[in-house]
Amino acid sequence: MSNTMHDTGYTIQDRKIMHHKAITVAVAGNPNSGKSTLINAIAGTRLHVGNWPGVTVEKKEAMFEHKGWKIRLIDLPGTYSLSPYTQEEIIARDYLVHEKPEVIINVVDATNLERNLYLTVQLMELGIPVVVALNIFDEAEKKGYKIDIKTVEKMLGVRVIPTVSTKKTGLNELLAAVTETAGNPSKHHPKQLNYGEDIESAVKATSAQIKNTHPALAEEYPLRWLSFKLMEGDSHVMAEVKLKESAFIEETTKHLKKAHGEDIESIMADERYALASGLTHEVLKRPELRKMEITEKIDKIVLNRLLGIPIFLAAMWLMFKLTFDIATPFVDWIDAMTTGPFKRWAEAILGFINAPAWTVSLATDGVIAGVGFVLVFVPVIFAMMFFITFLEGSGYMARAAFVMDRAMHSMGLHGKSFIPMLLGFGCNVPAIYATRTLENPKDKALTALLIPLMSCGARLPVFVLFTAVFFAASAGTVLWSLYVMGIVLAVLMGVIFKRTLFKGEAPMFIMELPPYRMPSFRSLMIHTWEKGRHFLIKAGTYILAVSVLVWFLLNLPWGVESKKDSYLGRGGQIIAPVFEPLGFGNWEASSSLISGLIAKEIVVGTMGEIYVTKESGVKSQESEEKTPTFTEDMKEIAISFASATKDAAVNVFSTFGIASITAEEDEEAGGMKPVIQREFTPLSAYAFMTFVLLYMPCVIVAIAMRQEFGTWKWFGIAFGYQMVLAWVVAFVIYQGGKLMGLG
Amino acid sequence: MNLAMLKPGEKGKITKMGAIGSLKRRLMDMGVLVGEDIKVKKVAPLGDPIEVTIKNYNLSLRKKEAQGIEVEVVK
Repeated sequence: MSNTMHDTGYTIQDRKIMHHKAITVAVAGNPNSGKSTLINAIAGTRLHVGNWPGVTVEKKEAMFEHKGWKIRLIDLPGTYSLSPYTQEEIIARDYLVHEKPEVIINVVDATNLERNLYLTVQLMELGIPVVVALNIFDEAEKKGYKIDIKTVEKMLGVRVIPTVSTKKTGLNELLAAVTETAGNPSKHHPKQLNYGEDIESAVKATSAQIKNTHPALAEEYPLRWLSFKLMEGDSHVMAEVKLKESAFIEETTKHLKKAHGEDIESIMADERYALASGLTHEVLKRPELRKMEITEKIDKIVLNRLLGIPIFLAAMWLMFKLTFDIATPFVDWIDAMTTGPFKRWAEAILGFINAPAWTVSLATDGVIAGVGFVLVFVPVIFAMMFFITFLEGSGYMARAAFVMDRAMHSMGLHGKSFIPMLLGFGCNVPAIYATRTLENPKDKALTALLIPLMSCGARLPVFVLFTAVFFAASAGTVLWSLYVMGIVLAVLMGVIFKRTLFKGEAPMFIMELPPYRMPSFRSLMIHTWEKGRHFLIKAGTYILAVSVLVWFLLNLPWGVESKKDSYLGRGGQIIAPVFEPLGFGNWEASSSLISGLIAKEIVVGTMGEIYVTKESGVKSQESEEKTPTFTEDMKEIAISFASATKDAAVNVFSTFGIASITAEEDEEAGGMKPVIQREFTPLSAYAFMTFVLLYMPCVIVAIAMRQEFGTWKWFGIAFGYQMVLAWVVAFVIYQGGKLMGLG
Repeated sequence: MNLAMLKPGEKGKITKMGAIGSLKRRLMDMGVLVGEDIKVKKVAPLGDPIEVTIKNYNLSLRKKEAQGIEVEVVK
């Protein structure tokens, strides 16, 4: 294992330390044990965040040198146990069993010793040397807890180091204990705990049977652990080692079952807790009188029957506002940069080298607009990640889930689904990323499927334009009706999905309400930065590609004069009949809808371009702003290539500022108003808005879904059901309205 | 008598785990075991889920999940 990292092209730095020992250290611990903070404190910016292969669970990893040791630190998902019932547990134990790290650092919350030691007991079954980091030690001391560390070490046979990860206390001692343990593993083997006579004799018999009948398995797996798992009837392990339950387990556990009952899994859990609890009693002295703790005081207010929900909603409003308000100035700044200087420079450079006109358009309207498109999401994703991480780290996220679970559960969701759904009203993209707070894959997938029904800021310009033209008198009511429609349909679809796609056992809601803690600023920043960086690199590439693709769609075939003849226009003509029964079966509307795939407000941009140029042939505003130093050619090109991508990109920049959208709408609507009034009726306009509200998520949401789930599957389902839903609802509205004589 | 029937402030001793499969194992992993004292602390503002104290920490669970946990009231 230690050789693998030297296989290819090592640097001088690597060469220098090659003769030192390289070890892999896995970090395991309960959720809320301060494990993340501890890892951030040790590894800091050397930390790399990725995903465990094939699943959406986060994997953190760091490589660093410590006193001549080259340490590879692997953060295992936070778990309460190593049973096979959650993704996190399976990942953690598969890693430990198959990758066999040299040392496990077990982060234990000193204020919650018994439950944390339950995991320690299970880790010790694996036969890998363990070092316990007795974390949050300061809080335990403050509570008056006295922990006899020497006795813990003696009873477990492992090193135990008190740490305070938020203050970086005890980290050097911890690393020293790790290297000492790695240097002399046989001396630091965890003690084999005694599970009582009945279990021990059954384990002995099982181990002997495995050794006799399957010697290869006895080599590959920690024997005692494998025996436990086979006795427990752990389906995951059974399938992995291809052993039928009946093989010999029936025989070796006969006596045990007779004495304690059939359910060996429960017997084992009981026994492990008995060990954890016995140990706790032995080493921990708690003060008799317990004063009301700060967490209880806060919860008295925050979870109050009357105040709980108003406080939650106020907190959410604040978070929503801060997320998008913080992001807006940066968004504007990025907007100014990409539409201003970047664009001018590209034009100047390409002009200077006499590049063909179309390359200028591709560079500015395709590439630079695309880059702007990516960058514009960065501030909002950074801000959102910051708040989500803060909510989780502080302990309020669990309370939010507690308060909202009843309401969310009625539509098949989890209490924690509320926050991603709410963020969806700002922008669906960060909302999809926010689903990572949901541990259960079912809850997570269902939430992500319903998020696109939350009407995001990008849909607003479309609504504002059409309501201004047709429903000026009751604009507010019409706007609200669309938002409410999205919510109602989300509830409905939630119930439908629960009964179809997510049939079967509902995910459970067994959740710790951890004590409130102030998350360390450093930890917050590292996490936020990693997420933002990831988005930039991964999603950025895709978005750029799509932006360039749309440019080609709008500008091919070469020398196309009218938008109607571009590929986009042709596509619009082909699909237009599909929208006939919905009341907007013209190529202009359907082309706009296609261009909306990049972001929904582009619908307005495309429409503006098509209708305005079609109507009067007026030059678009951009052409007048061009500096006269540009050649006539360039001007012509800039006018003809002023694509929807650019207009749209400009609009996207204002996605997050509702006020600015409303202001911009007026100029735009000015030109389009008469045309729209002629092409649509109030009824078909409403059907069109409904369609825009419900139809496919934009491409950036698609990429976010791909990134969060590691597969296109969920986007595929979202795309499919939303297209059908949009068509059906718009159909019902248009045809129903016509029947009622509204058309 | 099951856990869902206890009122906030009431305390019980777990007598039987009626839950099965992954729910049972998950509860046991969280320390919800026969013989443990368990205290209902709060009911969520909308009436579900509930918050309990067990093994000196706070746990929340839905009433439906609590129904599978048999308790006898402890004064």
